[in-house]
Amino acid sequence: MIQLMEETRGGWCIVGVRGRLDAESADELESALRTAIGKNAKVAANFAGVDYISSAGLRAVIQAARAAEGKEVEFTICSLTPHVKKVFDMSGLHQILHLRGELPC
Amino acid sequence: MLSMLEEVVLLAVDEKNGGLRSTREFGTAYALVGAVFFDLALARKIDTDTETIQIIDMTPTGNATLDRVLTHMASRADLTTVRGWLEEIFQQRDDLEGEALQSLIDQDILRHEKSKLLWIIDVERFPLVDNKPQQYVKVRMANTILADDIPQTRDIMLVSIAEPCGLLGYILSDTVLASRRRRIQLLCNMETISRKVTDAILGLETSMRQAMTKVV
Repeated sequence: MIQLMEETRGGWCIVGVRGRLDAESADELESALRTAIGKNAKVAANFAGVDYISSAGLRAVIQAARAAEGKEVEFTICSLTPHVKKVFDMSGLHQILHLRGELPC
Repeated sequence: MLSMLEEVVLLAVDEKNGGLRSTREFGTAYALVGAVFFDLALARKIDTDTETIQIIDMTPTGNATLDRVLTHMASRADLTTVRGWLEEIFQQRDDLEGEALQSLIDQDILRHEKSKLLWIIDVERFPLVDNKPQQYVKVRMANTILADDIPQTRDIMLVSIAEPCGLLGYILSDTVLASRRRRIQLLCNMETISRKVTDAILGLETSMRQAMTKVV
């Protein structure tokens, strides 16, 4: 179960994500990110409220990033909690995704 | 669309003579198990985190192999780790390969030939009837390795289980693979299942080396 919130600030569309990113919520996340990517030139996913991410959750993020790359949209993942950051690091995703410690604005 | 298991088995067929590379590349058996888990993950039946595997939906997929593995997984609530399940399903490796080969024959992609070597030893071959599906798999994998963009989920999975069992060497030259080593490592690290397949193959190779040392 996740909660998603979208707001625009400083030219960025910020998608706030809260909860567990797993197989149950992966489609919902990917769809929300793809929608934001389809409408904005800069999209930031705020993961400060994400306490768990599974492989399905990571795949959703990767595919959203792929969509952003195809549309030349700037896409970043921000404010990862230590546990979630560890999963990203272990998967090597920091090498292909743009991760930030804080929100861009 | 072929399943991940069928794509790995197809990749292990020698396009020149229909021989099975899995008889030389022992790690392929672990790649087959990894492919089944990826098929189940893509069908949204299982999910993994950095160590464990969870069943999230028990409804049948309609694929007999996947449904048998799923039922087996549901019967063993005590087994929760990805590595543990790789070893458990590894015991069924011959069934996995045989069922995928049969499916590829049924789809008119391969044909089955049986012959005798020196009038005694049975030799089975699976020559390609239609080489397009294998070419398609190879081109996708080559593109995934050679490009620097963010790849498709299925292609990440395929490269990451083909690499540790030596199947990439049948797609790109050693020189090209060496020049793209960083990219391949990146792709191989992304999925928990692939990381555990690599660990399992390394474990198998170590055991075989130790056994050979004892024999010598």
